[in-house]
Amino acid sequence: MTRREDDERGDVTRETVTVRVPPTASNLVVLRTAVSGIAARDNFTLEQVDDLRMAVEEAGIQLLRRSDSDHLTMEVTATDSGVEIRLAADIRAEDPVLDETSFSWRILQALADELHVETEHGRAVIVLTKHRLLARRQEEA
Amino acid sequence: MTTYSREDTKRLFAELRETGDQSIRAELAKLHLPLVEYLAKRFKDRGEPLDDLVQVGSVGLLKAIDRFDLGRGVEFSTYATPTIVGELKRYFRDKGWAVRVPRRLQELSLRLNKLVAQLTQDLGRSPTVPEIAKAAGVSEEEVLEALESGQAYSTTSLDAPTGGEEEDAPMRMDRIGEDDFRLDNLEYFASLAPLIERLPERERKILYLRFFKGMTQSKIAEDVGISQMHVSRLLTRILEFLRDGMEGDAEY
Repeated sequence: MTRREDDERGDVTRETVTVRVPPTASNLVVLRTAVSGIAARDNFTLEQVDDLRMAVEEAGIQLLRRSDSDHLTMEVTATDSGVEIRLAADIRAEDPVLDETSFSWRILQALADELHVETEHGRAVIVLTKHRLLARRQEEA
Repeated sequence: MTTYSREDTKRLFAELRETGDQSIRAELAKLHLPLVEYLAKRFKDRGEPLDDLVQVGSVGLLKAIDRFDLGRGVEFSTYATPTIVGELKRYFRDKGWAVRVPRRLQELSLRLNKLVAQLTQDLGRSPTVPEIAKAAGVSEEEVLEALESGQAYSTTSLDAPTGGEEEDAPMRMDRIGEDDFRLDNLEYFASLAPLIERLPERERKILYLRFFKGMTQSKIAEDVGISQMHVSRLLTRILEFLRDGMEGDAEY
């Protein structure tokens, strides 16, 4: 699924790809591969792509452990400044999805440029952002 | 688990070897079913019904019962664990869980390895996939495929027998019965320490430099004297080891 829209300023093209999978570890491979494909084609460096791939896997595992939802959703939005990944799942309300003192948090922090967790109405979203090192490629005609 | 007795097991094995009585074999299998169930649960998030996994694991258990030699002085549970886990892993491997990488991709992956190092040096930064594709004279799709397969390859090699040290399973019966074996409790650095200690020194260093010092893969590659893609594979493998370790299934 691809959605294109202009943001408020009208000068940036946002493009969001959404992938929704059943909540199993083997499906993390699907998410990982999707992220690699998107970032690699969008002029992120190999190391950045690799960081994103590892981050999605780690965040996905954390969500799987604490989730009882029947799906895991990943939204990847690429802009001129970088890429934002939103990994979401329904969670059991009492559990914090990602403890800031955990090793996982440390790993994700090293892999992403920005990291935060949104929890609302029994749904948790791990939000990872990676800034661009190189400008986007011109869209080929 | 409370009914489990090592003496019973020993006695039953002695009887089985003496008489070849199949009902004793069945009794031994029944006695160790909790071990199979415990091990099968570790694979439950891979999308297969637990019942199926227990069945697959039971095949491994029966193999272990038939092959176990009392004279070796190893506990049966220690002996059986790698056989059962091996059977479960083989099951996923056969189902395509771990990918077999075609030779074409293996070769491209090796070629890219060198190319990436060259480009990193020339550009003074990690290259992009389009840059790699152009330099290699292949499509971006092929580069992506080769990169992904490079990771898959390292994953399967982890499962492969290490050779030499069979029956080197750290799993012990007394650890299995613990109900509070919660993953979450182990998520603190202090409890990760024993796992990290089991890593080879180079891997420990890479882990530290990447996640605690925030060093880039290329910089680490330079520091340690291996390629960036090798660093990438090692990092993936280290994280996998730590995750498995938290579930009591670590082999590095």
